[in-house]
Amino acid sequence: MFRKLEAYLEEISHFLSGREEREEILSEIRSHILEKAEQEFGAAGDESIAKVIASYGPARRVAEKYLDGRPIIAPAFKRYLFRYTALLFAFHFAFTVAAVAFKKSFLVFPLLYIPSMGAFEALGYLPMAFLFDLGVVTLILYLITQSKKEVRLPWPRFSVDLDEAKVPKRTIGRIFGLAAMTALTGAAIFLYIRYQTVFLINLHPTEYKPIFTPEAGRWYSLILIGLWALGTIRLALKFVTTSPWVDAVKSGLSLVLLGLVFRQPVDAALAGRPSDNFVFWLQLNLTIVVLIICIVVAVDLVKAAVRIGRKQLAK
Amino acid sequence: MEPEAGHFETEMNRGFLQIMVLAMLEKDMYGYAMVRTIGELGYQVEENTLYPLLRRLEKNGWVKSKWDISEDRPRKFYGITESGRRLRAGLLDIWNKQDQILRNILKEKRHV
Repeated sequence: MFRKLEAYLEEISHFLSGREEREEILSEIRSHILEKAEQEFGAAGDESIAKVIASYGPARRVAEKYLDGRPIIAPAFKRYLFRYTALLFAFHFAFTVAAVAFKKSFLVFPLLYIPSMGAFEALGYLPMAFLFDLGVVTLILYLITQSKKEVRLPWPRFSVDLDEAKVPKRTIGRIFGLAAMTALTGAAIFLYIRYQTVFLINLHPTEYKPIFTPEAGRWYSLILIGLWALGTIRLALKFVTTSPWVDAVKSGLSLVLLGLVFRQPVDAALAGRPSDNFVFWLQLNLTIVVLIICIVVAVDLVKAAVRIGRKQLAK
Repeated sequence: MEPEAGHFETEMNRGFLQIMVLAMLEKDMYGYAMVRTIGELGYQVEENTLYPLLRRLEKNGWVKSKWDISEDRPRKFYGITESGRRLRAGLLDIWNKQDQILRNILKEKRHV
């Protein structure tokens, strides 16, 4: 009994678990190692066996060669893993934004339940939702693969084909866009430094009139400056890289900033004493506008995610 | 040799090894003896590749095996079956055709 040999076989056995011919495989490997040690090193001892084991290869690699290697998801379905996850997550995301905005729970039978939550809870909820969506899609594709049936998976045609989304080329328009965004962001930063807010009715140095309370004004202003700064950085980076990660990171961070808008209750954020009707009207319109922006940004995020997924699969 | 050639060599070896093993097993042999013989023929095969291949061939009925326990150490001997012989003939036919096609292409290139 050679301790190293038995430990090695035990390790291979672990990776072969569930295979009925396991014992026979192990017996054959044992026989081979002992014979090789004897023939090539004079005798089967701990030292010679260790050398033979080293040349035989790591236990996991050895075991894997006996496995059939049937893929969990068929290669033809791999691209759908990312497509469907992105699509499902887009729905999940939209309902999450609605759950935050309207403070309501949503049940989309049979897959999604989105509880009512605050903006910060949503930031923790969304990564979990993404993993759930990935898991659901993986499970479905796994079952289809194992069924070995010829299935043609559907994929909706969008007005812009997400799968074929092209990176725009450098144009004069993009240069003007960058200049405009830089100017806009710069102006916002200038106003913020001067007035501690960018939401003003009058720009007179002494008679300016802020729309929001100082605290809410700072909060909304920093969010707006952050969004514009992200847009400016994205446009600038587009001149040096076509990586879809730029769009993905920009969209992800923008969504985080948009989520922060809901952290400040609008009724308490307004300067002065507005009527209840006005507060209701403003709250409703702000919610709708932010929701629309969120959906647009989420679509951008999904587009970037699909492009990243395609690049990974191409590799 | 080009650095990428190693990857292609592994792919090419996969088919070649099957034909070689089926050719060798006209006479019953056990794994270690096969590794030694293949080495003496100037070809290298990893043991952890040969045994799973033998198992797959056996599972499909192209080779058969039996344990010999007459000596101190038990050894598993493999031999080709009738179905394995038919497979070998088919594979050799494919291999010969491929070889001929390549030779023709290379001959045409030389004449251009």
